[in-house]
Order: sequence, then structure tokens, then C-alpha cells
Amino acid sequence: MLLSVENLHKSFGEMNVLKGIDLSIEKGSVVAIIGPSGSGKTTMLRCFNALEMPDKGTIQFEQDFKLSFDKAPSKKEILQLRRKSGMVFQSYNLFPHKTAIENVMEGPVVVQKKEKAAVKKLAESLLKKVGLEEKMHLYPHQLSGGQQQRVGIARALAIEPELMLFDEPTSALDPEIVGEVLHVIRDLANEGWTMAIVTHELKFAEEVADHVIFIDGGHIVEQGPPAELLKNPQEPRTRQFLNRILNPS
Amino acid sequence: MYLNNLLAAADPIVDWDLFQSSLWPMIQGGIQYTIPLTLISFAIGLLIALLTALARLSNSKILAGIARVYVSAIRGTPLLVQLSIIFFGLASIGLVIDPFPSAVIAFSLNVGAYASEIIRASILSVPKGQWEAGQAIGMTHRQALARIILPQATRVSIPPLSNSFISLVKDTSLASTILVTELFRKSQEIAARTYEFMQLYITAAILYWIVCFTLSVIQGRIEKRLDRYVAK
Ligand SMILES: Nc1ncnc2c1ncn2[C@@H]1O[C@H](COP(=O)(O)OP(=O)(O)OP(=O)(O)O)[C@@H](O)[C@H]1O
Ligand SMILES: [Mg+2]
Repeated sequence: MLLSVENLHKSFGEMNVLKGIDLSIEKGSVVAIIGPSGSGKTTMLRCFNALEMPDKGTIQFEQDFKLSFDKAPSKKEILQLRRKSGMVFQSYNLFPHKTAIENVMEGPVVVQKKEKAAVKKLAESLLKKVGLEEKMHLYPHQLSGGQQQRVGIARALAIEPELMLFDEPTSALDPEIVGEVLHVIRDLANEGWTMAIVTHELKFAEEVADHVIFIDGGHIVEQGPPAELLKNPQEPRTRQFLNRILNPS
Repeated sequence: MYLNNLLAAADPIVDWDLFQSSLWPMIQGGIQYTIPLTLISFAIGLLIALLTALARLSNSKILAGIARVYVSAIRGTPLLVQLSIIFFGLASIGLVIDPFPSAVIAFSLNVGAYASEIIRASILSVPKGQWEAGQAIGMTHRQALARIILPQATRVSIPPLSNSFISLVKDTSLASTILVTELFRKSQEIAARTYEFMQLYITAAILYWIVCFTLSVIQGRIEKRLDRYVAK
């Protein structure tokens, strides 16, 4: 397993948002995370790279790195954990004072201290991969939402993470440009990237994911291959949720 | 006799001879004292301001507390009083500092307090998502601050900081009260000899105006440059 999470808890003040999450993600697999609004999907994803600090539990990457949150981890351990994952945000969060290619180069140059010329080549190839070789030198405000999100994906890929985290990468986009971002993510899946994707796009999840996790009320209620979980859910809450999405009234 | 002189000085026609002979000493006062005083104090003040802003935003209660007291004390007292304490006050208890360094100390502390509030607000104005995007690519707090947050905060703080700078140019005239022979004190000295108060003080005003006007043009240019990555 690339990622193993055990008994993860997180609360905000009085509100328990994650109430003991156990899950594992196999190397090279794509995991889709679905669930109602407020169920804790974003919080869980942010815990995986310590943007949100879990209160309790452990996060382990393969055999070589295990971090327990039962006592506060050190800054160094948090950085180590963070550098295992790349994150793509719902609202892109590109650096507005940097061009597309500078956004992509920032991690390798500043964090990984790689040589600039080599990073430039890497960034160019990543921007080409997401179909933006023509837009490399534009600033984020000169790009459409879909283009910005693709830069966001290239920026996350640039640090060569072991795991890619996506939090509703298309939900801020107009319907007609959702496809261009999903297309990029599909390519990454075919290249063998390990990914955890929070999404409301059930069709996309069905097509791309190897594994679907349904979260409700801070628990994993049900998980399994998309064909089973989406087509033949066992738990009443899963059924109810899927019904509501498929037949909005 | 004093009254006579005053009446003679009230002659409405500009005394061009006096204008010519007084202009250069005033400009000299500006070049020798007003401008260096402004530049040095502002540079030191900005450094103090940045450190103060970071202290106030830090997790350390002690640092934040010290910074808060400093800002409150400077903002709650008149600049003229601060200047007088540093020059006359300290001298009276045996710590004699020359006029120019005294002025630099007072103005730097003053700029430091006011500008720290501007810098703090501009750091807070950068969306939380920017910190997170930096952290998500593995940046330390310091790297995110230096590479992501401060450049954006700088853009936000340029207009109010430019205003502080322009105010400082004018405020340096207060250094005349502690014997710094800057632009305004030069005009006072000449006026004391010639009684041409109106003409000399108007000349001083125009000189300040020219400097401040030039600065505001430069301010506009800088803002335009920094705006290049922001949607119009
Ligand atoms: N920083 C925070 N402080 C306080 N409460 C928070 C914070 N972040 C999230 N919450 C709360 O935790 C709960 C779970 O939020 P989360 O964003 O993880 O849900 P979600 O499943 O991603 O929902 P959505 O589908 O709407 O994005 C919500 O009730 C939310 O209000
Ligand atoms: Mg969410």
C-alpha cells in the first residue's frame, strides 16, 4: 500500500468532523471519494498532507514513513509528510504574481533546490502535458478557469509526489470546460499516478477510479470498486445519497 | 520700529532678489538634510515596521505584546513630543545626541509604528489559500512568507506606504525645532533676518510641493508596474 491511514480523527472545536477513518490506497490506483456536503471529504484530504492537523491517528507511506498524530508531530515531520503529496485545490490557488511556468517551477526550485535550467525543461514538458505550452508565460488572471486548474495540476506534479490529491478539481468550472480538466486527470490515471480525488462527477468516478469511498458523518460508510459501489450499493445511506445525485428533484 | 519693518515686508510685490538669494540655501537645506533624513528614516522605519508586523503576527505572546505596546505608544503621542524627548529630553539626563541622528531615530520609530500596521494588514489581506498552496508544494513557513505572501502583500501596501513616505517628507520640517538646518529651518533663518515671512514660507511650501508631486507621480508608475499580474 502506498498510503495507509488508521483511526484518523479531526474535530473543529466541539464539532467532530472525522470520527476514525481507516483506509489504504494502493500504489498506482485511483481512489474517488464521494459523500454529501459537510461529510468531511475535504477535511480528510487536507489531513493527508497536514494542511489540517489531525487530532489522532496515523498516516503511513509505504514502509518507510509513518507519522502518528497522537502527540503533535515536529515541523520537520510535517514537511516530510507534505512533500509526499501534491495537492490540487478547488479554487486553483495559483500564485497570482507568477506566470504559469513560474508557478510550476516554484516547488522544484525553491523547495527541492533543483537546478533551474533542468526545472525549466521539466515545467515546459508538464505544461505541454496539460495542453498549455502556448500559455506558459501568461499570468493566472490571463487564463480561463480550466487553464488555471491545469496549471495547478502541473504545479502539483512538478514536485514529483508519490500521491496526487484533488479536492473537487472541477466544481468551480463552467460545465463546458469541466471536460478539459477531467481529460488531463484521466491521462494521469493512465500513466499510473496514484490519486485520491474528491468529486461529484459520478460518471467520471465510475470510469477512472479503481476504488470508490463513500463518506458520511465523518465515517467511511462503504467502499469498493466503482461497478459495485455505484451500481449496487449495500448500505442504505449510500443508496440514498446516490439516488439524490442521480435523480435531483 | 519692529512694526515698520513688518509693514515694509508686507509689500505684495515679490522681491526677486531675495527669491534668488534665498532659493539656493533652501534647496541646499533640502538636499543636505530633508532628503537624506527622509530616505534614511524611511528605510530604517520600513525594516522596523516589517519586524514589528511579523512580531505581531507571530505565535509568541511576548513578541506580539512588545510590538503592540510600541505601536500604541508611538501612535498615541505627537511626533513633536517624540522628537523633543529624544533630543532635549535625553540631553537633559546626560545622553546628548546630535540633532540629525536624533531626528533619524524619532522619524524611524514613527514610521516603524505606522507602517507596521500597513504591512500587517496587507499580509492579512493575502488569502489563506496562498499559504496553503505554498505549503502544499512543501514550503516551510518562512519560504511561503518570503516567496508567496510578502510579494503579494507588497503590492497591496505600496499605495498606503507611498502616502506615509510623502507625509514623512513634510513631517521632516518638524526637525527644524531640534536645530536641524533642513529646508524649512533655512527659510525661517532667512525670514528672521529679512522679515519676508510670506514670500519665504510660500517658497518653502512650493519646494515641498514639487518634491511631493514628483513622488506621487513615481508612486503612480510603481503601482502600474506592480499591477501587471492583476485583472483589470
Ligand atoms: N476550518 C474549519 N473550522 C471549522 N469548521 C470547519 C472547518 N473546515 C471544515 N469545517 C466543518 O467541517 C465539516 C466538514 O467539512 P468539509 O469541508 O470537510 O466537508 P466536505 O465533505 O468537503 O463538504 P463539501 O462537499 O461541501 O465540500 C463541515 O461541517 C464544515 O463546516
Ligand atoms: Mg469539500
